[in-house]
Amino acid sequence: MEHLIKSTLAKLSSPEITFADVRITKTDNEGIYFQNGNLRDYSSAMDSLAIGIRVLIKGCWGFSGSRDLDPAKIDRLIQQAIANARSGAQFIRNPIEFPALKASVAEYHHIPEINPFTMNKEEKVSFLGKLADTIKPQGKIVHSYVGGQFMRQEKYYINTEGSYSHTSYYNTLPIMGVIAADSGQIQSRTWPGHMSAGRAGFELFYKQQFEENTDRIIKEATDLLSAPVITEERADIIIGNGHLALQLHESVGHATEADRIFGMEISYAGKTFVKPPMLGDYQYGSEIVNIYSDSTDPRGLGYHPLDDEGVPGKRAEIIRNGILVDQQTSRHIAHMLDLEPSSNMKASFADDFPLVRMTNFCIAPGKGSLADLIAETDHGYLLDFTKTWSIDDNRNNFQFTTEIGYKIENGKITGIVKEPTYFGITKDFWNSCDRICGEEEWGYHSTFHCGKGEPGQVMQLSHGVAPARFKNINVSVKM
Amino acid sequence: MKHYLNHLLSLLSQHPEMKYVISEKLWQTDFLRFYHSQTNYNISKDNTALEISLYKGKKSYSFNIDDPTAGKIDKALANALALIDMLPEDPDFVDIENDPTVVTQRRKANNIKDIPLSRKTDILTVIADSAAKFGFDIFGTFICNREEYHLINSNGLDKTWEVSPIYLEVKAVHNVSQITVLETFGGEDFSRFDLKAFTDGLLTKIRYAGNEVVDVEAGHYDVILAPRCIAEFVQYLSHGMSAHALDQHSSYFDGKIAEQVFPAQITIVDDPEDADLITSDYNHEGHAYKPLTLIDKGVFKAFTCGNYYAHKTGLPKNGNTASCLKIASGDKTLDEMLGSIEKGLYISSLHYMNFINPRETSLTGLTRDGTFLIENGKITKVVNNLRFTERIVNILKNITALENKSVTVPFSGNYEFFSIESSKAPHVLVREFNITSSTKTI
Repeated sequence: MEHLIKSTLAKLSSPEITFADVRITKTDNEGIYFQNGNLRDYSSAMDSLAIGIRVLIKGCWGFSGSRDLDPAKIDRLIQQAIANARSGAQFIRNPIEFPALKASVAEYHHIPEINPFTMNKEEKVSFLGKLADTIKPQGKIVHSYVGGQFMRQEKYYINTEGSYSHTSYYNTLPIMGVIAADSGQIQSRTWPGHMSAGRAGFELFYKQQFEENTDRIIKEATDLLSAPVITEERADIIIGNGHLALQLHESVGHATEADRIFGMEISYAGKTFVKPPMLGDYQYGSEIVNIYSDSTDPRGLGYHPLDDEGVPGKRAEIIRNGILVDQQTSRHIAHMLDLEPSSNMKASFADDFPLVRMTNFCIAPGKGSLADLIAETDHGYLLDFTKTWSIDDNRNNFQFTTEIGYKIENGKITGIVKEPTYFGITKDFWNSCDRICGEEEWGYHSTFHCGKGEPGQVMQLSHGVAPARFKNINVSVKM
Repeated sequence: MKHYLNHLLSLLSQHPEMKYVISEKLWQTDFLRFYHSQTNYNISKDNTALEISLYKGKKSYSFNIDDPTAGKIDKALANALALIDMLPEDPDFVDIENDPTVVTQRRKANNIKDIPLSRKTDILTVIADSAAKFGFDIFGTFICNREEYHLINSNGLDKTWEVSPIYLEVKAVHNVSQITVLETFGGEDFSRFDLKAFTDGLLTKIRYAGNEVVDVEAGHYDVILAPRCIAEFVQYLSHGMSAHALDQHSSYFDGKIAEQVFPAQITIVDDPEDADLITSDYNHEGHAYKPLTLIDKGVFKAFTCGNYYAHKTGLPKNGNTASCLKIASGDKTLDEMLGSIEKGLYISSLHYMNFINPRETSLTGLTRDGTFLIENGKITKVVNNLRFTERIVNILKNITALENKSVTVPFSGNYEFFSIESSKAPHVLVREFNITSSTKTI
């Protein structure tokens, strides 16, 4: 593969081409899904090769990609990418400026504790089958599922500046959930929430304590059927890790993707309320809020030694002591904003065009345990496990519903509430943050399903979070 | 038939105990994305993939092969045969699709070839120049896909069909205020595209966008929903009209067959034979895809139901997937509908909807790409984007008028696999639509 990618790049040396890069990925995927105790789907896609060729000609990108790596096909792809750039340059007013970058060479290979592709398959299916059997419909549980998606990707990257990387990793997405029904209503509970993926192999099922939490989700889903709803207009809320990751993702992560500032995502994912003059001045959150993008941490799915346009992995502070100080950028956009590139250009597969994407997007830990934080809360709710999420075109107005809320009175959890829903405006919300738990509660919560771009790409990425408290939040949505 | 398919069938013939489904897909896209009235990037992509599902009794295993060759098939099939015996059975499994219906294949234009990049940029230049006169730049996508399908299964199905969707989405954004308006074209027949009508439609909205920007308070409003909006609400609602949702106990329509669920002017049909839409001869299992009335004069008539859930739920199998939804038009002009509103809202497009409780059809979402205030029967001001929290069934129950014409509304599917689908809908007038907050932004 190294020879193939280097020989492909060699065909892109032309005075007309100011920059070019080539990526090749080889991806294995396997999915196992039990529904209502029965194996509903076991599928795989192994050895899936892809190639993508990106060229910059007259200040315009041209791209072509395919799953066919036959040499004759690659020659056609090169011609197609060049033709696309030339044609595109006919409809361009401000040619892309792309300052040169020093070449980097990198190699990284992640090895999981339990390789999901080579482990004993009967053991794998049996483990999931037992979980499925434990939570299969009974009592008020009418639907249940357990599953795992396993991915291994090997990637080669090369560009005309001399940068080259060869990496490989394993990611796993374990899921488990139940639906309870009674008198025409349904309630659901999942474990460990919707951001359950990790840079790991099959060991993730053990680390996330799936077996230990089957009884809990059955009981909570059932109890939610008869639980009250929140009746207050406003309340203090503590958001648990199973949901805070998504709050961070939607209202800070996407909002600080700088391609949105320039309208590159208007047609699908949207814009952002963030504008260039806000950098260094805008009070995005309270003083305890520190948020960063960190592609140098190998514990998260967003780790890479080089991004998909040759920028070395980087930890970039985005919000420092509540002030917006940086953005997630590409090389082109960083140049327009007079910033250093943040190493956030990523494509899902080699035949996808790279976009500004979150990598490991994190909130720095504060102090204390979740138990301490609950004990210090007179009246409020601990909300966890995402159920519904929605945020506007400018990433300014969000509304979330979690699967469950735990009522806190005088520092103690005294009951549960169903469908707790809160909404707010991004700046007001992050400025109301008065406590963030410490290192002992901090962890990565990851997803396989962040959608962006057209043609659409789903990115695998991580959020490092610790439970945090937000004061006087609107928890009343009248329907 | 391609060599690798013959090779695969030959291998499978040595295993008479197995049932199988082979689905071959050839997919291409030619994708122009533009911003600030210029190219962002041009993408060409293609893939040929085989998806093979094997069944041995009630055990099953599926595998996917990109860029298939005989060598890749040998390796993947050997793995599958070694694995399938050790898998547990799915007691709910009965049999694979057996619909013998062969429809006359609709030949589709190859829009990737017929609409080259140079033609796309010529069209966009005309639109960009028109918008520029009002201080607007254009942003969006101009996409042509080409998809060819071949499905073979051991119950004797051997069917081919093709799809060639086009999706032009133009958002005009004001250079200073960032006020955004939207115009789209979708379908498979580009001869239906009228550049002047398209540009005129966009310019009409741009003129509305020149008005003062105001905010509105949360509350219940009479609203005109543009065809895109009501089509999207009905797409979400169609989730509950599926046998899959019924099986999961998440369907609002559970126990409501033949019940009057909406006003009599509401009729919704899944119609893959309407040439205005992006159509398909068969569903993904190879069942003939035929028109199915879901709501007839307000009465719920049928669940969409594929092979598996027909066996599981006992519902009649129809093979429909709600991919070609049509909401019947009414008898009012848009001006008459506007004229009946003293104070209300015109909503052009929706954003980021998500169910709160699918069984209740409650969801939240936002307006986008042009929300306008209606005063005394006329559009008078621009309104910041708004959040709504509503039950879709209430929206349909509160429809009091439908426009006397429908338009095709394209949607791109951007999760898992890039696809383009379409619906057809008129403007509708909805009373008491629940706005729950303002975004304070355009």
